[in-house]
Amino acid sequence: MLASLSLRGRDSRALLPALFLLLLLPALAMAVYGLNDRLPMREWPALLAPHTLPQIIASASLLPRSLAALLCGAALGLAGALFQHVLRNRMAAPETVGAAGGAQLALALTTLFAPSLLDGGRVWVAFGGGLIAVALVFALAWRQKLEPLPLILAGMIVTLYCGALGSALILMNEQYLVSLFVWGSGSLVQNDWSAIRLLAPMLAAGMMACLLLLRPLVLLELGDEAARSLGVPLFALRAAALAVAVFLSTAVISSIGLFGFIGLAGPTLASFAGARTLRQRLLWSPLLAMALLWLTDQTVQQIDRLLGDPLPTGAITALFGAPLILLLLPQMKAHGGLWQGTVSVIRSAAPWRRVILLAMLVLAAAIVALCWGRGPQGWRWIGDLHELTPLLPWRLPRSAAALAAGGMLAAAGMILQRLTANPMASPEVLGITSGAAIGMISMLYIAPSAAGFTHVVAASAGALGVLLVILLLGRRSAFSPDRILLAGIALGALFDALTAVLTANGDPRAVILLNWTMGSTYRVDGAQATLTVGIAVVLLGLTPLISRWLTILPLGDGTSRSLGLSLGRTRLLLLIMTAAMTATATLVIGPLSFIGLMAPHLARMLGLHTVPSQMAGAILSGGLLMLAADWAGRMVLFPFQLPAGLMATLFGAPLVMWLLTRKR
Amino acid sequence: MACGVFVPRAIHALVLAVCLLLAPGSSLWAAEPARRIVSLDWGLTETLLALGVVPVAVADVPGYRGWVVEPALPEGVVDLGSRFEPNLEQLQQLKPDLILATPYQNPLKPLLERIAPVETIAIYEEDASGRDNGNHPLERAVAATRHLGSLTDRQSEAERLIADTDALFTAARQRLDAAGAEAHRPLYIATSVDERHVWLYARNSLFQDVFDRLGLSNAWQAETNFWGFSSAGYDELADAPEARLLLLRPLPSGVEASLARNPLWNALPFVRAQRVALIDPVLMFGTLPASGRFARLLVLTLTGAPL
Repeated sequence: MLASLSLRGRDSRALLPALFLLLLLPALAMAVYGLNDRLPMREWPALLAPHTLPQIIASASLLPRSLAALLCGAALGLAGALFQHVLRNRMAAPETVGAAGGAQLALALTTLFAPSLLDGGRVWVAFGGGLIAVALVFALAWRQKLEPLPLILAGMIVTLYCGALGSALILMNEQYLVSLFVWGSGSLVQNDWSAIRLLAPMLAAGMMACLLLLRPLVLLELGDEAARSLGVPLFALRAAALAVAVFLSTAVISSIGLFGFIGLAGPTLASFAGARTLRQRLLWSPLLAMALLWLTDQTVQQIDRLLGDPLPTGAITALFGAPLILLLLPQMKAHGGLWQGTVSVIRSAAPWRRVILLAMLVLAAAIVALCWGRGPQGWRWIGDLHELTPLLPWRLPRSAAALAAGGMLAAAGMILQRLTANPMASPEVLGITSGAAIGMISMLYIAPSAAGFTHVVAASAGALGVLLVILLLGRRSAFSPDRILLAGIALGALFDALTAVLTANGDPRAVILLNWTMGSTYRVDGAQATLTVGIAVVLLGLTPLISRWLTILPLGDGTSRSLGLSLGRTRLLLLIMTAAMTATATLVIGPLSFIGLMAPHLARMLGLHTVPSQMAGAILSGGLLMLAADWAGRMVLFPFQLPAGLMATLFGAPLVMWLLTRKR
Repeated sequence: MACGVFVPRAIHALVLAVCLLLAPGSSLWAAEPARRIVSLDWGLTETLLALGVVPVAVADVPGYRGWVVEPALPEGVVDLGSRFEPNLEQLQQLKPDLILATPYQNPLKPLLERIAPVETIAIYEEDASGRDNGNHPLERAVAATRHLGSLTDRQSEAERLIADTDALFTAARQRLDAAGAEAHRPLYIATSVDERHVWLYARNSLFQDVFDRLGLSNAWQAETNFWGFSSAGYDELADAPEARLLLLRPLPSGVEASLARNPLWNALPFVRAQRVALIDPVLMFGTLPASGRFARLLVLTLTGAPL
């Protein structure tokens, strides 16, 4: 059921407007102050027909910026509330269904290959891209009648794929695509009213549609069975509501930019502050999101005035919003997994034959990766050991580390998906990779000349920090799965914000950062490879011992306890193991490879359903995917190299998409 | 007793002497200059080419041709791929004697040193003092030119490049002085990021140093980062109403069209007075050749005639 968050024992009716005003009033004060600073108050009537330059600036830049913040906030808050309601997932956001990824990819492609299309307005290009991506997501989830689970899975994979393709384009043409960095980090800077003129009618239309859908949507709260028995056409209703939400979020993305966290923060804040019914959530989510975005943007403008360097508002929103979610988390009612019982435990005929086949494939791939490659003389197969020796110091560490890291991420993802009974769970979602990344980035900026080893230490410290936060948050709720995931999402947003701020300011180090976050094995040397492989052998060797826990845990807390499992301790041990594997892998292939997400699904789709065989299959296919990705990344655009994590997403995502439509 | 102390000292002195002789830049090295040079930075590449040294390989050949333009990169120079992740297998198989890099490539140094000695030459470098370190890239480019000259045994070519660039600045300044007040309006020199944002080059930038040599004033006085630019919205360009705007090519696609439709852009003083000019690509993070190219482009733009 839709998780109902609430603050126990408080008067929700007073809390919601109070929170709204608390966010709105300072924003209003700062807006008035800022406008007065640019244009004295007695001249304000002239804003309707501006003549002097200060009047034109106020009217074409300051006013639309405030309005843009309000409209974006409202649209995203409303879209977020709709997504959460229909998809029954409080982690659902406008990004979840692929709109953001599609829009960004469309802009990148158009910038490179058909720039003349942009002259007609990038808005429509982004809008088209967003709609195509969403259509693809819906097509993938169509056979399952757009049920929440397959839809989110499809949305996530399409988003990943678009993001990976877009990043590859940015890496290949770094200097041409700076504008995409700025757009992606959510800048609200406006020069005229065109974006407002586009967005306002779209928002109005979306709100109208929302009102029309309100009554049947309320019935959805009763549960599918009850709603169906009352004659609600579930499928049509979900499709219509999702269409409205997609329309609203694509409108914002295409006309202004990305503000993903707002679409999540609005509904979450509303729920925390006690909005219980759908009506309340649909009213207060947009209002709170709107006030939050406006307040953030006004604060950012004040900071700009002091620093002189414009900060991207969308990224800063996440810097504010993520800690807010973390602070509110302990107040949340403990809740079981969202998809309990949906993880299949059916046995297949001969799983181990498939596992052995997979292992042989990994071996063959490793030999190819070491012996076959491009050089100054073109493609060459080098079978002669004497000739191969000078190349091995470059090829062997990267291949070995990629293989080990892929296997560890896969195992970590497998554990997390079983632990939380949530197919969206992965080490990336848990936030451990983000923690490692934050540690590594801080090092890059605090001590740019520091040697590689300090990066290792810094990243480990970051990963450990996140683990501690998660353990602290988790202890109060016996490591309740969805609370841990939400904490991970908040931390991930924090990391995104950090990178967005850094990349938007145009620091050339952003490209190094981007390479690493996309999973480049470039800097792996012999020592790091040995360490990675060593840790992988030890930790992956332990996985058979936890099979029983992973089989029992998805059956639910009650069943697990009655089978004699100590929930708190089991989860703690699993978390520590996951964290260790994730941190080691992140240091090699960056925080965003998504192998951990894809590999367990691949294994299951290969027919490996029992825990031991699925684990083995996940480890092998994760390692294989990463190994192949690393090799391909070095070869495809030779002498340019594409990061292995990125290539893994480019390979893996279509594979998962294809399997998704084929089988269930 | 005395002997016992003396012998280790003598060995010590001998070792020290050998070390000094072998240190980069010392006479023993200069006698036998590196022949197979690889350059990983566009700025160092352009200086090398201006000294008449053709590197065996450079990073990002298409990027150099699009953003640096001249001195033209000869055909046959091997591409090493990205400046941030140069292809190490390729590099090793080319067997270079010397690799030239800049501080932003420091993280790569341990890997590169396994292939050949790495010489890091700093033009733009973050220091402990924070963002605005009062850097003068032009001075550092002169020092870098001499350094590269001695590394490649082209000391006289290096002095000639320095003198030629100096003479070019003097000639450019005379041409601008002759052109009068119209050529001496304060200048915004910017890269367009998109239709709402620009990067403005000022303090700490190569362009600022060239402005100073040519007697031109920069309209953008805000603090900059150590690369010598800060980013801003177009509305912030209204503070100097008499200024001229120079936008560096290439512009991101679609920007020109959307600016033309934009009321704020059209209300900016330099747009109303038609004092906006597009100038050809020149490496903003460059060295001496870029500074000379920039001076020539400035004369062409501000006086309407080439230098």
